[in-house]
Amino acid sequence: MRPDMTVARRILEAAGVSATVADVPVLGVMCRVSPEESRGALLALRDSDLGFAFMVDLFGVDAGEAVDVVYHLRSLSRDEELYVKVLHAYGSILTSMWEIFPAAHFPERECAEMFGLTLAGHPNPKRLFTTEGCPPYLLKSVEIRTAEEVRNR
Amino acid sequence: MSDPRDGAIDPGSLAAPASMTPAGACQPQTLPAGLTRAPVGVNSLATEHLILNMGPQHPSTHGVLRILVELDGERVVAGEACVGYLHRGIEKLAEHRRYSAMATLMDRGDYVSGIHNELAFALATEKIMGIEVPRRANWLRSLMSEVNRLASHLVWYGPIGLDTGSMGPFLYAMRDREVLLDILEDVTGQRMTFNYVRPGGVVADMTLSAEKKIRAFLDTFDQYLDEHIEILGGNEIFQARTRGVGVISRERALAFSLSGANLRASGVGCDVRRDRPYAAYSELDFDVPIAEEGDVYARFQVRMEEMRQSARILRQCIDGLPEGDFTAKVPKVLRPPAGEAYAAVESPRGELGVHLISDGTDTPYRMRYRPPALYALQVGESLLPGCLLADAIVTLGSTDLVLGEIDR
Repeated sequence: MRPDMTVARRILEAAGVSATVADVPVLGVMCRVSPEESRGALLALRDSDLGFAFMVDLFGVDAGEAVDVVYHLRSLSRDEELYVKVLHAYGSILTSMWEIFPAAHFPERECAEMFGLTLAGHPNPKRLFTTEGCPPYLLKSVEIRTAEEVRNR
Repeated sequence: MSDPRDGAIDPGSLAAPASMTPAGACQPQTLPAGLTRAPVGVNSLATEHLILNMGPQHPSTHGVLRILVELDGERVVAGEACVGYLHRGIEKLAEHRRYSAMATLMDRGDYVSGIHNELAFALATEKIMGIEVPRRANWLRSLMSEVNRLASHLVWYGPIGLDTGSMGPFLYAMRDREVLLDILEDVTGQRMTFNYVRPGGVVADMTLSAEKKIRAFLDTFDQYLDEHIEILGGNEIFQARTRGVGVISRERALAFSLSGANLRASGVGCDVRRDRPYAAYSELDFDVPIAEEGDVYARFQVRMEEMRQSARILRQCIDGLPEGDFTAKVPKVLRPPAGEAYAAVESPRGELGVHLISDGTDTPYRMRYRPPALYALQVGESLLPGCLLADAIVTLGSTDLVLGEIDR
């Protein structure tokens, strides 16, 4: 289920990516890479002998002043999973990975619109769910209005 | 047959789908190579391209899905799926709900298979908190999951007949679905949004009348299922409309992270129930049907065979339901320790996952809902260019889209 941490570290080092690999208690192996090196890291993991070629999911997590973009990868041949987390500052550019993982097409659009990121290298960098002009509202700092506030608006 | 899961797959080797190139994104000026727009009055076979909005209020799009297609006669030149008409921000709302209140919200995601949504969230919560679920609760979860899966697959089976021009199967599908919804109502009190699976177990025990109904249903269902397969699958028109249509190759399916019956119809035998058993599935005996062709007919065959397996699981569950509590003792207000967990279930549409991040308070810090139908829609969109408009509807319908889940 969870791959050997040292193996993941070896793959990333061989690709020249500086990554912090940690074992998160319940979740599994988590690799943290910088936005500049995220493409190289995902490519290396996909083409490695472990074959993390199945992208289960892609989503953003608010991390205070920045967004953690999480890539959840799975190796079907070995039945192992790992996570790659990339920290993006709000308003920064999210490089599209759809050429490496075509499945990232819609989730990247969703992640960018929900967290106010700008997509680069994406074939169709439009909003996915919301209309133009909506604020990036999924941010932790934006509170949902209470019913009273909405009524008295 | 070789093991379909051997070897690494290289998604990068796939050619980029035409709909994903910027030029293919529905620009009325672009014509395919070799075609010129004919001036009025000139006798030419070239036709002017038509931009057509299918949906969002059209029955053939299976929900509030809008598909923007550029047509050259009957042929789709480019297409784009536009979603978001049912977006309610479930992931954001989850950050303001207590863990025990989340089941009602999860129901509204994929409203055709509510039990699976609730179950995914409950499993993720239990993973973080380390709650041990009683054996009877696990069996009840499996049992209700399969009842819900049958009901959901019947909702797929009826409309795929309508898509291919066959009205009859819909009526038979609804006849059987009615019995299943009665069973669900008997146990949970609701027909669609169940609010049944909670962290720690389930809300209500099996009732005598529901047990009787399940047994009566199982007595007739195998024969009814054969009829379903015969009525639609044996129909020559249906076969002509579905064989070789909407072919999703194994490589494409994996590159687009397809899951569930759609992936199994493309020859990859992945099933969360077998690969990462949850609830009582490790104790239950069932097969995972696979087809190799990857076309609409293969998806039909796989779903039909899955229904047979669901009935088989249901029979085991109702016969072997263990005695005991149907819920563990959990505190009224759940406060999981800070941490992350991912739990997945095999919903009728594929791998439905919940990635839960807790910060130690009584509400989740972040709840990510992995929608299998969103990934299926991407494949459907990538298949649009080049196919006939009528086939596009069948192809999209065959991937079992539920917009409540795609939009969340």
